[in-house]
Amino acid sequence: MTQSVADHPILDPRFAPPFPQAVLPVLRNPQLRKNVAHAIDVIQAKRGRLVAEKTDWQELRTAGSALRAHVLENLGTYLEQFESRCTAAGGHVHWAADAAEARQITLDLLRQHNASDVIKIKTMTSAEIQLNPFLEAQGVHAHETDLAEIILQLGEQEPSHIVVPALHINRSQVREIFARTMGLKNLSDDPKELTNAARRYLRQKFLTIPTAISGANYLIAETGGVGIVESEGNGRMCLTLPQTMITIAGIEKVLPRFQDLEIMLQVLARSATGERMNPYTSLWSGVTPGDGPQNFHVILLDNGRSEMLRRPVERQTLKCIRCAACMNTCPVYRQTGGHAYGSVYPGPIGAILTPQLMHMHHAQSLPYASSLCGACYEVCPVKINIPEVLLELRSQVVNQERRQVGRVFDLMYIGLRMANFLFTSAWRFHLAQRLGRIGARLVTRKDGWIHSLPSIGGKWTQTRDLRGLPDQTFHEWWAARAKEAK
Amino acid sequence: MRASLFITCYNDTLYPETGRAVVSLLERLGVELDFHPKQTCCGQMHANTGFRGEAFCQAKRFVQLYRDTETVVIPSSSCVAMMRDQYPGLFEELGNESLRREFAALLPRVFELSEFLLDRLGVDDVGAYFPHRVVYHASCHGVRALHLGERPYKLLAKVRGLDLAQMANTDRCCGFGGTFSVKNAEVSSAMLAAKLQDVIATRAEYCTALDNSCLMHLGGAMHRQYAGMKTIHLAQILAATEDAPAEAIA
Amino acid sequence: MTAAISSRESILGRIRSAIQTPGMGLADAAVAYGALPRGYIQAGKLSREGTIALLIERLREYDAEVVECTPEELPAAIAAQLAASAKHTFVAPPGLPPSWLATGFDWKIDNDLDTAEIEKVDGVLTAATCAVADSGTIVLHHGPTEGRRVISLLPDWHLCILLASQVVETLPEYFDRVEQPPALATYISGPSATADIEMTRIKGVHGPRFLHVILVRDPDSPTQAPAMRPADTAPHKGR
Repeated sequence: MTQSVADHPILDPRFAPPFPQAVLPVLRNPQLRKNVAHAIDVIQAKRGRLVAEKTDWQELRTAGSALRAHVLENLGTYLEQFESRCTAAGGHVHWAADAAEARQITLDLLRQHNASDVIKIKTMTSAEIQLNPFLEAQGVHAHETDLAEIILQLGEQEPSHIVVPALHINRSQVREIFARTMGLKNLSDDPKELTNAARRYLRQKFLTIPTAISGANYLIAETGGVGIVESEGNGRMCLTLPQTMITIAGIEKVLPRFQDLEIMLQVLARSATGERMNPYTSLWSGVTPGDGPQNFHVILLDNGRSEMLRRPVERQTLKCIRCAACMNTCPVYRQTGGHAYGSVYPGPIGAILTPQLMHMHHAQSLPYASSLCGACYEVCPVKINIPEVLLELRSQVVNQERRQVGRVFDLMYIGLRMANFLFTSAWRFHLAQRLGRIGARLVTRKDGWIHSLPSIGGKWTQTRDLRGLPDQTFHEWWAARAKEAK
Repeated sequence: MRASLFITCYNDTLYPETGRAVVSLLERLGVELDFHPKQTCCGQMHANTGFRGEAFCQAKRFVQLYRDTETVVIPSSSCVAMMRDQYPGLFEELGNESLRREFAALLPRVFELSEFLLDRLGVDDVGAYFPHRVVYHASCHGVRALHLGERPYKLLAKVRGLDLAQMANTDRCCGFGGTFSVKNAEVSSAMLAAKLQDVIATRAEYCTALDNSCLMHLGGAMHRQYAGMKTIHLAQILAATEDAPAEAIA
Repeated sequence: MTAAISSRESILGRIRSAIQTPGMGLADAAVAYGALPRGYIQAGKLSREGTIALLIERLREYDAEVVECTPEELPAAIAAQLAASAKHTFVAPPGLPPSWLATGFDWKIDNDLDTAEIEKVDGVLTAATCAVADSGTIVLHHGPTEGRRVISLLPDWHLCILLASQVVETLPEYFDRVEQPPALATYISGPSATADIEMTRIKGVHGPRFLHVILVRDPDSPTQAPAMRPADTAPHKGR
């Protein structure tokens, strides 16, 4: 199977093609679409069952939403508390204003500990700052340890989901990747055998590589503790066996108190994987003599987040707990998978998070990658009103367009400005209806339907017909009827 | 009971038969209907595409036209959702205090058609006769913004002769999404193809909804594909009787 | 280090200017925190027996093996489980009662054992801090009877001793029992698992693949039901 450059997704918003272009190779890839739809249907069915059995689900959502909003309103306070408690417990806290600084701090720490290899727990922040290619260029080998991440790393593929990053790859493709890269010619495509191959492949790395990198699901201000939620046990390996642990966490990840986990842990696994609880949750505060890493560093990553706090609508984005329920329910994501979003954060949350992380300089097509169906808001365990944020970001994109000279060539822009001119006067609107009716006759076939429209209209008629305009609008009929009655 | 019909811009232009059906239905139920001749658009297309200033102009216009109206009835759930979900934010940001007050007073008097029938008039049996197999498409705005819930099904259950089909994945979006259908035409078409599979599998003759926008999308594909199914707004089914079947109204 | 300090100040400065609540400190945050809605279920509604039955059901859903015994029967029950495992070498934390360490097996007591040594053992025996029936979760706070995290991680086979008095129904009930947040905690809900390949659930990736639980009917249970009613032992439904 040959793979063209166009087929290889770019997950860097600075270079990725706009969403409508990026979807084209995906939509024409039957295997990828089947893999995505299958995975999504399985997760959705499990989530549906487990949410339905939780009689206090809406109360948990309300509590989770209020708690996350409270954190953001008091973020500085809680971050400082986390810093002081974590430091008191023997940890070291670093602050990174942007991706470059976070990468550099990580590299400096690795150099301090003479690390040439590092094992990693799946972390979205690391993907966000594109840490692996940077470390590789500096001569440090980063070894992913989550099964899906190994599949991607060995297969040189890009993640397409934030919880199940390799959901676009099926078992025979995994078999091919493992057989080729691990030198296992006789490997079958039985998921159990493939999983065992990964277990054996990683065991030595866990036991011998003394430095690890993780993200964080939670930072707990009260205790200075960090929490990691996982399924496979690779996280526990990385948290327990190495001498040095570097945790890269977004500044929004903080929770006020240990007890707050009673909310977050009840909503996270149900939303993410359709389980009552994920197999392993690990919590640790700083350094514990004799148990686990004796050098512990937390890098608090801003990278655009503090800017999102400014207004309540956009601020909601930071309530996110990265459960992926929004992408699992999204009818757009179900068709496209994650690659088309051109970001490590796909789906509805990616559509609002990515452009904001880019300070609205890139990924402007993402807020439009939604039919605004509202399913994401309905499932979000912390009640992020994603459609509301999408609309706000669309408005910011339009305001950028208003300042651009090229807008006069943008038919959509011109059309909408014109439409507003028409809609703000009944007389103009009715005149446009009459003119439109005359124009439509030119393209209406004998069956009364339009099969092909020029310009933007062609985007409609490429897959759908449009009924021709009726001879009489409703308001004309009403006026005629009123006249008759008199 | 008096009510004023806000027909919406696209129903006025593209689907006047839906408006005529609303008139016939509501007059049959004893409602005295008005029609404001200066009405145009609620501003949804602009708001959903990011043109907030333009949407505001149209939203303000709506409030000014209807502020003295007893009851407004709208046969399009997405336009009602626009008013409930987006007008408050637009007026908060761009409007003044008197506009906000007028809107707050008007909003409780704005009804989507099925809300108007069940909540305002308190009828579920409107005396309709429609001897066909029908599937109901629960549009996203009806389900998740207006929470119409059982309302359309209650109305359909009382239509004599109607054979109601059940659709799989009933609350999944059809992919229309306003300008989404042309800005992201290919994804929209993929979503449409998935939806159409579920719709066609019901072997219904008609697919109905409370939004002609979704029906324009689904019906456009049905026509293109010779799918052997038609779309019809719920108002037209409810207006149909033995003496005046839907075809004659349309 | 000056760059790091300035990033700290600039981030905190941006946060403070963005949310415009200067001077808001921990005390103010605590007041707002106290007013947060917590309308979800706190305490469970099941009886003691119902709670234990639910836990056992959940653990078995995770493919864990569960047996019950009285405190007097515990040493024999442990010995039986160890024997049935057909394994020989076990690691144990230093704080376990000597009567738990059944004779006839090779015990490695973890007084800072080498990782390589732990990697070689066949299984591990630990106590636990708490168990949550609703989610089938076993809680370890890694005290002297639960041991360092590594001993319940590397061995492929884990035998966990749970007292009936440690079982709560809901997660909030566990957090209610915690007086002082632990420095280390591990919550285990079933054996290590992945669904990364076509969403097919595969047991045992890196953590222990086999979890065995002995539930001890201890008399100290503070909320033990006065009498066992048949209805309480029926399988749990409708949550």
